[in-house]
Amino acid sequence: MNINEDKNYVILSNQINKVLLDKYKDYPIIDKMNFNDLVSKLEFFSSKRIVFNETFYYLRNTEKQVILDLLDKQHIKYIIITSNIEDVLYGDYLIVYDEENIVVEGLTKEVLKEEKIMKKIGFGLPFAVDLSKQLQYYDILYQTYYDIDSLVGELWN
Amino acid sequence: MELDGKIIGVISDDYKEEDYSGKRITDIITFKIDEALKMVRLNKEIKEKLFDELSSREKSKVILASHLHDKEIRLVNFSKGLIKKDLNYFSSLFKRITSYGRKIILIDKNMELYLNCVDHIYVIKNAEIVYATKNIFDRELSKYVDIPKIVEFILNSADNGIRLDYYKELDELLKAIYRIKS
Repeated sequence: MNINEDKNYVILSNQINKVLLDKYKDYPIIDKMNFNDLVSKLEFFSSKRIVFNETFYYLRNTEKQVILDLLDKQHIKYIIITSNIEDVLYGDYLIVYDEENIVVEGLTKEVLKEEKIMKKIGFGLPFAVDLSKQLQYYDILYQTYYDIDSLVGELWN
Repeated sequence: MELDGKIIGVISDDYKEEDYSGKRITDIITFKIDEALKMVRLNKEIKEKLFDELSSREKSKVILASHLHDKEIRLVNFSKGLIKKDLNYFSSLFKRITSYGRKIILIDKNMELYLNCVDHIYVIKNAEIVYATKNIFDRELSKYVDIPKIVEFILNSADNGIRLDYYKELDELLKAIYRIKS
């Protein structure tokens, strides 16, 4: 697996198992961990990249952001492995697996243009992206939004 | 602790995920295994595998399959590993199961799972109910958990002076926005 050292990755998969994890075994992998323990661990982390194996499943959105800000401050890059479509927005580069095969990969915003593929596999799209794309079909919006605050702001203000 | 409802959502750190490490699937699902696997959308080939070999999505499905005949089905972090398509399918399956007089308790912080099926939501800390509601649009819930994205959108719109009905499907919401904007 070629990893660009400047990018943060999200791996979106419907089969998160040992076979998938083995592809990223060159980096330290964090599994289930509560927020406070994770913060303590990352404050003294020496590696330049970290893999979160479904760790984000156990965190609230505000906690995820604190973790990512902490990593950014220390210049640590990350790979988030997840099945949650909303988590893809935390990465620069998205790799989408269906079973054991990569079906699409690229810069996150480019991959999210592949609406048909994402919906066919069953991942769907992040809510704000999906709603803003649908509203573009109705000529109500003219661009895609990636968070609810900006989407609501554009729609109602 | 007695909880009201047919499909109940519980937000809590008090419960542990079930772990069947080292066990074969045939040892975990002990009753009508083929029917149970079919109901949770798993292939029969999985039967001879070890629990540890499965993906988190398959583990969640196997655990549900093992409890399908329980009078009260209790699932901890069932949504782990599941994708959006699964959440829709299992919401329907849960309703079907409870129509036979059984109860389902979902201990899960993924509120997207609750959106179309749960009738009561409880927040439990140290074995005490600290909050209870029947309404997933209840603003208090956001103190304890991330609310579903569609709920966040509707509540955020209300804060901006636009009152939308409590839609739970994107298509319905889309039509409502279209009516307002056109």
